[in-house]
Amino acid sequence: MIRRRFPWLSYLLVVTGAVLTVVPFLDMVMTSFKGPGESGTLPYRFLPEAFDLSNYRAAVDQLDLPVLFRNSVVATTVINASVLLTSSLAGYALAKLRFPGRDFIFRLVLSTMMFPPFLFFVPHFLILVHWPLAGGNDLLGRGGAGLTVSIVALVMPFLVNGFGIFLMRQFMVSIPDEVLEAARIDGAGEFAVWWRIVVPQTRPVMVTLGLLTFVDAWNEYIWALLVSTANPDVMTLPVGIQMLQDYVDPTRTMPIVMAGLVLSILPVLMLFLLLQRHYVRGIMLSGLK
Amino acid sequence: MVNALTPETTARPPRPRSAGPARTAVGPRARARRHQAVVAYLFLAPVLLFFAVFLILPLGFALLLSMSHWAGFHLGDIQPAGLDNFTSLFAGGSTFLTPVLTNTLLFALGTVALALAGSVLVATCVDNLRFQGLWRTLYLLPIVTTVVAVGNVWKYMYEPGGLVNGALNAVGLDSVAFLQDPDTALPAVVVVQAWASVGTAILILTAGLKSIPESYYEAAALDGAGPVTVFWRITLPLLRPALLFVCVTQFITGLQSFALIIVMTRGGPGDATNVAALEMYRQAFSYGDWGTASAAAFVLFVVILLVTLAQLWIFRRKGEDA
Repeated sequence: MIRRRFPWLSYLLVVTGAVLTVVPFLDMVMTSFKGPGESGTLPYRFLPEAFDLSNYRAAVDQLDLPVLFRNSVVATTVINASVLLTSSLAGYALAKLRFPGRDFIFRLVLSTMMFPPFLFFVPHFLILVHWPLAGGNDLLGRGGAGLTVSIVALVMPFLVNGFGIFLMRQFMVSIPDEVLEAARIDGAGEFAVWWRIVVPQTRPVMVTLGLLTFVDAWNEYIWALLVSTANPDVMTLPVGIQMLQDYVDPTRTMPIVMAGLVLSILPVLMLFLLLQRHYVRGIMLSGLK
Repeated sequence: MVNALTPETTARPPRPRSAGPARTAVGPRARARRHQAVVAYLFLAPVLLFFAVFLILPLGFALLLSMSHWAGFHLGDIQPAGLDNFTSLFAGGSTFLTPVLTNTLLFALGTVALALAGSVLVATCVDNLRFQGLWRTLYLLPIVTTVVAVGNVWKYMYEPGGLVNGALNAVGLDSVAFLQDPDTALPAVVVVQAWASVGTAILILTAGLKSIPESYYEAAALDGAGPVTVFWRITLPLLRPALLFVCVTQFITGLQSFALIIVMTRGGPGDATNVAALEMYRQAFSYGDWGTASAAAFVLFVVILLVTLAQLWIFRRKGEDA
């Protein structure tokens, strides 16, 4: 409609917006190559004088990248697997099974999205410190540091996700009951119905939820900061890079930080570009009709 | 997804069962129903277990803390405080209402307004262009980026020798100390949050646009409606569920968020960009006042709840008018 009359207006708007979106990324990449005294000086220059990798080398030297990567990858993978599994199971029960308390549980799931995350930081931390029989604790959770000394602390509060359950439930509601009923008459138990019919049918939305969870977990900052303050061994990439600011030569701080950021963003970017087709389709299919 | 946010659908009563044949076969039917309930709770077991430990227990503890004095560390040091924490939040001289809560609301409102306007424009325009996939991918880039990256890149771009001031100087304008000037700091952070969240909004609105039947547009074209009329009378009303979803979720995010502000300004200059969630963080971790921090968290929860309900109410009323 608008296209036929004002194609140039649409193009102008979209291209301007796209440029505004991409330019900060380009500035980040360009800055990551700038030498000492080249960044933050007047007048502003977009391009670096030379594309040398010394900032990347400095970032790699300052950061224990293998450890940071390992922590980020382990945490993200565990969180993702758990969120996908629990959301799919719970979503199926809430969408397709009848049982007393269903509406209450559904509302509980919705309400979890409204509490400020801050409300949970300290209680979660205390729960992990006092986890029974872990990290030197006795049965009542006293005496040791509990789970805070382990990488488990990084993932525990994110293993179940209210939004994920909500998304899966919304999608599963639209699966016709007749299909499930037919399988039940053929003698399939509920678990088989879920595994053989519901899981394959919900693959697109699983990809979407997986990507959303991946991005959130990979980029999570505040909780990871809290946990790695208590135990630097479980530091993740975002925390490590933010700390980079305090350690390096001030005239080169920003370029080195930018180099670290480029390194930490690359894996997510690759994954996103590989899967973006599924991601968009999953959102489109997820009941926004 | 959108519809379920409105109370009518979430509160849907269970469908009445067919009465006739069920009566004659009560035994197996009832057993099947009981079996299904057991299975359902098995499916839900991991989630319920998690909620018991990481939702209900922490909520109870936070509620207890909000009515106590506690400096952290030893659970034995918790002292009852009644409603002191809440009254002190709203007492004269407290910075909680102004500027902190005002900043929070302005931050969320500014972010949602900018992101919504931008995403509606872009989503409707992209729908008419070639290479739609390319454009959408570009707009989604900020979503996949950690807040640490977004915050640092923009902080650097706002500096006197950064890209934004470079662009201003190039067109003959004076440099602005965006993040150091109390008047510009909050708007500057709002722009960044909006920039970072516009991609999600575009994605959801595009999904909404795709679901508007082509026949509506054809009918409007036959009636000789211009593009502006079509936008206001067809596109926007039919986009309402998607708009509601974007508004509600982004308001919740905006009211809760503080990671970007920690990275960019740490609440400064002064309290110019101090928002509720950051204030709690500081009360707890910098001043060791966990009671006040927890009380503030509950106040913020009530604010979020009210803002969400207000949006549901406004969108529903608009719906009846249309």
